[in-house]
Amino acid sequence: MEVKEPKKRIPLIGILSGMISVASHLFRKPVTVQYPEVRPYEPERFRFRISLKLDDCVGCTLCEQVCPNGSIKMEKLVRENPRNKRMLYPDVNFGTCTVCRNCEEICPTTAIYLTHEFETARTKNSFLYSPLELAMDEKEVKK
Amino acid sequence: MNILHWIYGVLSFLGHDIGYALAYIIESIILLIFVSVMLIFMIYLFRKYMARVQQRIGPNRVGKFGSLQLIADALKLMGKEIIFPKERDDLPYKVAPYIVFFGLILAFAFLPYGNLSIFGNLTITYSDVSIIFIFAILAIMPIGEVLAGVGSHNKYALMGALRSVAKDVSFEVPMMLSVLAIVMMASARTSTSLSLESIVTTEILPYGILEPIGLFVFFIAMIARASYAPFDMGESDSELVSGYSTEYTGMRFALFYIGLFGSIFLGSLLIALLYIGGFNGPFSSQVGFIWLIVKGLILVLISFTIWLSMPRIRIDRLVNAGWKYLLPISFINLVLAGVLTLGLGW
Repeated sequence: MEVKEPKKRIPLIGILSGMISVASHLFRKPVTVQYPEVRPYEPERFRFRISLKLDDCVGCTLCEQVCPNGSIKMEKLVRENPRNKRMLYPDVNFGTCTVCRNCEEICPTTAIYLTHEFETARTKNSFLYSPLELAMDEKEVKK
Repeated sequence: MNILHWIYGVLSFLGHDIGYALAYIIESIILLIFVSVMLIFMIYLFRKYMARVQQRIGPNRVGKFGSLQLIADALKLMGKEIIFPKERDDLPYKVAPYIVFFGLILAFAFLPYGNLSIFGNLTITYSDVSIIFIFAILAIMPIGEVLAGVGSHNKYALMGALRSVAKDVSFEVPMMLSVLAIVMMASARTSTSLSLESIVTTEILPYGILEPIGLFVFFIAMIARASYAPFDMGESDSELVSGYSTEYTGMRFALFYIGLFGSIFLGSLLIALLYIGGFNGPFSSQVGFIWLIVKGLILVLISFTIWLSMPRIRIDRLVNAGWKYLLPISFINLVLAGVLTLGLGW
C-alpha cells in the first residue's frame, strides 16, 4: 500500500496565516457581557428564589420532609391564620438549596413556589431566610 | 531648528554655559515625558488590542474607555510593599531595573525624530556615529537582565537570565550585519554613513524595498531583542515563573515591564528609520515627526500581532535559528547590498 506523504510545508506561510487570523479577530464583536449594566439572556422558565404565601401555608411540613439536603426547617411563627393551627412555617437556607423544586411540587396548597429572581447577594453573612423574609419581595429583604 | 536651541533662546540671558546646561536638562525632561507618555499609550494599546483579538473588552472601568487604567496600575505598583529576597546580592539586585530603564531612555535621545512644525526636532544630541552609539546602548540592557538574574538568588531568575543572554548573543550578530549592509549602501551617497540622520535624509528609495532580506532579518532580531513571543526566553512565564523578574515587586517590577514595551517601541522606531523611510514622506519638513510615529505605531501593531499569534519556541531551536539561519541570510544580504551599491550603483 502506498503511504501518503504529508504535504511539505512552505516556511513562513503558516506563521503569516496565523497572524492574519489573529488580526481578523480584531473586527469581531466582543462576547463579554457587562453584567450589572447589561443583563444576559434569561430563559423564561428559569427559577431560583423560593417564595412563600403566608396565608396559604397550612404547616403540613411536607416541604421539610421532601427537601433532599435539609435546606428547609420548620419554624414557629406566631401569626393569625386559621388554616395553620400549629403555626409552623418553612425557613429556607439558600446556601444549601439546590433548586430541585421538590417543595413546590409537593406543597398541597401551592403556598411555596419558586420565582424568577436570582440576585440574592446581601451583606449579612447568612443565607437563612425566615418565613417572613420568604414572603417578602427580594428588594424589601435587602432593605 | 531644534527644540534645544528654542529653549536656549529663552534662557540665553543666563549666559552660554548655564543656558545650554539648563536647556539640555529641560529637553531631556521633555524627552522623558514624551517617552513615558508613549509607553503608557502603548501598554494601553496592547491591552485593548489583546482584549479585542481575544473577543474581550479590555480595561473599561477606570476613566473613559479605561484610559486611566494604566495610571491606576502605576499607582498600585508604587504603593506596593517592596519585598527583598533574603539572600540577594544587594547592589546588583537593586541596580538592575534602573540599568534596563535608563539604558532604554538613553537610546531615545539619539534617534532623529524629524521636524514638527514650529517645535522643531526632539533629538537631544547629534552624532556622526549615532548608529554605533544606539546599538552600544542596546547592548547595555541585557546587562541589567543578567544582574537581575544573578542578584536574585533564585534558580528561575538565573535560568531566565541565562536564556536571555543566549538569545541576545545569538541575535545581535545578524542584526548588526543587516545594519552594516545599510551603512554600506548609504556610504555611496554620504560621507557620514554611520549617522542615522544622514542615512535617512540621503536615501532615494526606502532601504526595506532595496533589501527586503535585511528588513526580515532585522525585524526578527528586533523581536528577539525586545524578548516577546515567540522569543520570550528571558521571561518564559509557563516554565520559569517570570524569568529574571521573578523576585521583583512594586516599582522595580514596573521598570522591567516598561523596559519590555520600550524595547518594542524603540525597535519599531529603528526599523521605521532604517528600512521604511523614517520621517520621510509628504510635507516631511513640517510633519516628519508624525510620519515617524505613525510608521512606528504600525510596526508596533504588527509586533503585537506576532506576539499574540505565536507560541514560544524551544531554546535550542532559538539559538539554531540565530546562528544557522539568520546569520547566513544576513551574509547573503550583505553581498547583495554590495552588488546593488557597487555593481548597479543604486
